[in-house]
Amino acid sequence: MLEVPTYRRSRLSGELPFRILTLGSVLFSASVVVALVLVIMQKSQILWPVEAPLTFLTSSGWFGATDPSGVITAAFGAWPMIWGTLVTSLIGIAVAAPIGIFAAIYLVELAPKRIAALLTFLVEIVAAIPSVVVGLWALGELSPRLRDSIEWWIASSLGQFIPWLSEDPQQPSDTSVFRAGIVLAIMITPMVAAVSREVIRSVPQSLREGLVGMGATKWETIRLVILPTAKVGLFGAVLLAFGRAIGETIAVRLVIGMNITAVPTTLFQSGSSIAAQIAGAYGEASPIEKGALAGLGLSLFLLTMSLSLTVRLLMWRSANKMVARA
Amino acid sequence: MSQALSNRPGLDFSLTPHDIKRRRVNQLALRIIQIAAIIAIVPLIAIVFVIASKGLPHLNLSFLVNGPLERPTGIVNAIQGSLVMTFVAIVAAAPVGIAGGIYLNEYASRNVARVGELLIDVMLGIPSILAGLFIYFAIVPILGHSGWAGASALTVLMIPVVMRTTQEVLRLVPAGLREASLALGVPQWKTTVFVTCRTAISGIMTGVVLAISRGLGETAPLLLTSQSSNDTAINLGQPMNAMTVVIYQNAGSSDPQVVATAWTTALVLFALALILNVAVRFKTVNNRIF
Repeated sequence: MLEVPTYRRSRLSGELPFRILTLGSVLFSASVVVALVLVIMQKSQILWPVEAPLTFLTSSGWFGATDPSGVITAAFGAWPMIWGTLVTSLIGIAVAAPIGIFAAIYLVELAPKRIAALLTFLVEIVAAIPSVVVGLWALGELSPRLRDSIEWWIASSLGQFIPWLSEDPQQPSDTSVFRAGIVLAIMITPMVAAVSREVIRSVPQSLREGLVGMGATKWETIRLVILPTAKVGLFGAVLLAFGRAIGETIAVRLVIGMNITAVPTTLFQSGSSIAAQIAGAYGEASPIEKGALAGLGLSLFLLTMSLSLTVRLLMWRSANKMVARA
Repeated sequence: MSQALSNRPGLDFSLTPHDIKRRRVNQLALRIIQIAAIIAIVPLIAIVFVIASKGLPHLNLSFLVNGPLERPTGIVNAIQGSLVMTFVAIVAAAPVGIAGGIYLNEYASRNVARVGELLIDVMLGIPSILAGLFIYFAIVPILGHSGWAGASALTVLMIPVVMRTTQEVLRLVPAGLREASLALGVPQWKTTVFVTCRTAISGIMTGVVLAISRGLGETAPLLLTSQSSNDTAINLGQPMNAMTVVIYQNAGSSDPQVVATAWTTALVLFALALILNVAVRFKTVNNRIF
């Protein structure tokens, strides 16, 4: 019978505490997520007797008061904010997806090594710009220029035929839904490009060689092999960026304005988004209004969580593991 | 030579109209791709230039060491607030994130690891404003608007960053290293700490620095939790200022002097973020594996 020396037993004794410690960290993180959902749900309880969840999501208005006898009169509708969130994010992704994916193709397939390295370095540096700084720039520099150029062109040409592209009936302001979308596009393009770059890189070299061997041009290689192979991964990249756009708060808050009671009639009017409304209105909120903000937060959580779960499912389905890196 | 070849049937090397069209399409498409790459980078470069040109004229020592109520005004309280809250948050988030990443990669079964990855995805996907709202509802009623509340909101946002990075870099550590250590009779936890993590330490530190720079750049959660203050004393129990909050509050002002403060603060913040990122780059370049 071999005897275990005491010093060895003491060395083994750290195993259990270490496992408990590391597992505990995972469980703690999980409980933070659960607590986040529960707390926000609990705070939204006060709202549901006044506004049924479905009416809250689909109606407009932002008014709540408690009179001295304790009767709550309120009309809260999240629809203008949900509309603003979706429309700005869609504008952002519509601009960012093609540009970001093409930029990624350029980096992987076309750019000389030095230029690719330089561009990657630059993108990494500018990715460090906090979103509030982008918002500051957008408000002071970009917004007036967009208003006087692109917005004006679209409004005075297409706007005559399409109502939601016409000029703001009120005085053109410093803020608009369209501009918020463009700012989002600028913010998420590097993300689309970075994730797409990893995806395109993971396309096997032999596929490229096969097409080149058959005499295909560079563009034919990209169109016929690289894009179809990377399709799922690129879709994941776009979804990830979409999720980021939906949750973006400060930059949107600065350029979208604070029009929370009605859906804007044109894209060139001020609007609001879920995140921007939470950041702007929590200050002097009454209890019932806090409940409404919690309701907004809940809908934002559901939106972003369904997106990130979709991306994860896509990833598990395709062998493409690269999307996870983002 | 080519004359002789192209005379033989079936070996015609001259370009047909179809080939010429293919060539043109190719050139056009590649040009479009190039232009897209330029469009992607131009606004970002523009932001950097505007930050520098608008921020530099007002940047001086008194701006960095004076409080907002002194003359000339400064942002020392915002710098302190950003650094202190980020520091507290990373001290809380780094151990949790690293330990969690270790568990998911070294101990968890395949299925548990998958659930863990899902958890990190969900956590990473939480918009920062929701972390702020959570702390606003859960901790602000107890501690009030305070530095502690701000730091806890940042912690929620930092944990998944550290955990994801730790898990990913541990995955890259060759199994042979672990096996060699285990074969010598070293217990698994010591192998993990002294062999696996030690090999991956610079990758793990990269995750920590990424989390720090995320914390420094957040605005929305701080608005809801630590709010702002003009007090230059460091007191986590009271509302605290942060550089991002200063930028946000001053951005929309009609007074050019106030907007200039926002730009100069943006310059300071960006410089900090830049230093952190470059530090990470050099760390990662100098290491063998990462």
